[in-house]
Amino acid sequence: MAAGRLSRTAAVAMNTYRESVRERVLYNLLFFALLMTLSGLLLRDLSIRQDDRILKDLGLAAIDLFGTVIAIFIGVGLVNKEIDRRSLYPLLAKPLRRSEFVVGKFAGLSLTLLVNVAAMTAGLYFTLAVTRHPLDLHIAKAVACLYLGLLLTVALALFFSAVTSAGLAVVCTISLVLAGRFADVVRNMPEVAPSVPRALARAVYFALPNFANFDLKDRVVHADPISPAYLAWMAVYAVAYGGLLLTGAAAVFARRDLK
Amino acid sequence: MTDPAVELRGLRKAYLVGHLRRRPHAVLHDLDLTVERGEVFGYLGPNGSGKTTTMKILAGLLRADAGTVSVLGRPLGDPAWRHRVGFLPEHPYFYDYLTPREYLDYAGRLFGIPSAERKARSDQLLEQVGLARYGGVAMRRFSKGMLQRLGLAQAMINLPELVFLDEPMSGLDPIGRRMVRDVIAGLKERGATVFFSTHILSDAESLCDRVALLREGRLVKTGRLDEILSAGDHHLEVLVAGIGAPVAESLPGAVGARAIGERWRVELPRGVPLGPVAHAVEAAGGRVLAVQPVRQSLEDYFVSQVDPSREGRKWPLAD
Repeated sequence: MAAGRLSRTAAVAMNTYRESVRERVLYNLLFFALLMTLSGLLLRDLSIRQDDRILKDLGLAAIDLFGTVIAIFIGVGLVNKEIDRRSLYPLLAKPLRRSEFVVGKFAGLSLTLLVNVAAMTAGLYFTLAVTRHPLDLHIAKAVACLYLGLLLTVALALFFSAVTSAGLAVVCTISLVLAGRFADVVRNMPEVAPSVPRALARAVYFALPNFANFDLKDRVVHADPISPAYLAWMAVYAVAYGGLLLTGAAAVFARRDLK
Repeated sequence: MTDPAVELRGLRKAYLVGHLRRRPHAVLHDLDLTVERGEVFGYLGPNGSGKTTTMKILAGLLRADAGTVSVLGRPLGDPAWRHRVGFLPEHPYFYDYLTPREYLDYAGRLFGIPSAERKARSDQLLEQVGLARYGGVAMRRFSKGMLQRLGLAQAMINLPELVFLDEPMSGLDPIGRRMVRDVIAGLKERGATVFFSTHILSDAESLCDRVALLREGRLVKTGRLDEILSAGDHHLEVLVAGIGAPVAESLPGAVGARAIGERWRVELPRGVPLGPVAHAVEAAGGRVLAVQPVRQSLEDYFVSQVDPSREGRKWPLAD
């Protein structure tokens, strides 16, 4: 029974991955990400003795930016597009549960992102190698953390994809991703705006997905250590928050009428 | 005793319509229906009668508001029966980046069919629906009819005991329609039950063991075709030669006469004695060439039952 569920979920995931890798837009994004990383080669000539910092900063920013764009814009279409095009209809009449479909879609896009992030990371390491800089292991740790944040972004996009229309899903996902990146601002709001109740600011701070904590660019650039415990904690946070979003998406989608 | 293939009891469904003030619009009203195993069952009705809504409830795409549904003896919520059922939705759409072979493989994986068997069945089904030459072509290049054919193939990947086909002839050319008829006949031959909706009444007439006629979400009639049609009006057609229009139109009991070249086809209601008609024809110098009873066609019956102009009814909003 469990093997059947796993097999069906894997089938949906592989199909989602196949769809992504056959999208031309994905290759365009990957091309621009690599271009952005390689552009560090030009920019380093403008700086004095800090060229490796620029390369690392630019490379990680490219991975973050293009990964987030892929996660949001493919993520919000994962369920909605299937409903709009009715490609879902013959599938749901088969022994495929709606929850398996939701999880399979999430896994498929996560795999796509993994491949893309790996390619972009390889591009960054290649650039560092070409410019005779040491291959900093902290970059890999920061990328792993970024990837966990991207998984959470996919879960968020998928949640909105399952509960609302595509347009609204884009707006909601982008809004929450931006709010989550500036979660600290929300927490410190009462200090600059005393009329905001401290309890409310704290509640909103904890409710928001804290994307700022997944961004370790500064630590890499300034050679600050990244402990395995921190990465483990971020993994627990991503799994817990993402799990809640996926459970919510599956629960809402299970009750949705497909007219 | 074997459970029926499909059993609907008191099935109800309403959609919410309107933008500002949402109000329910009933599409199915206490629908009771039984489809026996091994039969080809035609689900007929005009646009908006509730056929597709019924199909979608059976496929698990819509939730019924009330009533019970059992499929192959299992309640609708039990996923076990889905392994034994195939479904072709109306106007199917498949992933245009996949080839038919890849799609059938995907569909087979959802049923847990082993890899080698998936490949063998895919090849056989593509051959059966006339897509063997296009097995490796991305579906973005496919016509509507080709997608319909693939839809039929994916509905059979699991060798189903029961197949739901929503408008299977839609978008097909005459060759495609013949293929669908052959497929349905083949399914029946191997003991499968086919539950299909259609507008094309000649296909229903030639394929179905039983039909149900739906109008505005209510069953008008269910039964064997011969029973339904024998209950309708019969008439006689008398083929006559050697007479003119005044005689043909005034033959005793005639309710209609049509010229076909030099001949006349005269329509008589059932029960009208033929003797006086024959005498009148001979008296006018003509002769009776043939007399044949004419059974009401399914189309006649369909139109007589569902034509909204007959009762001035308003059509419902959803199918």
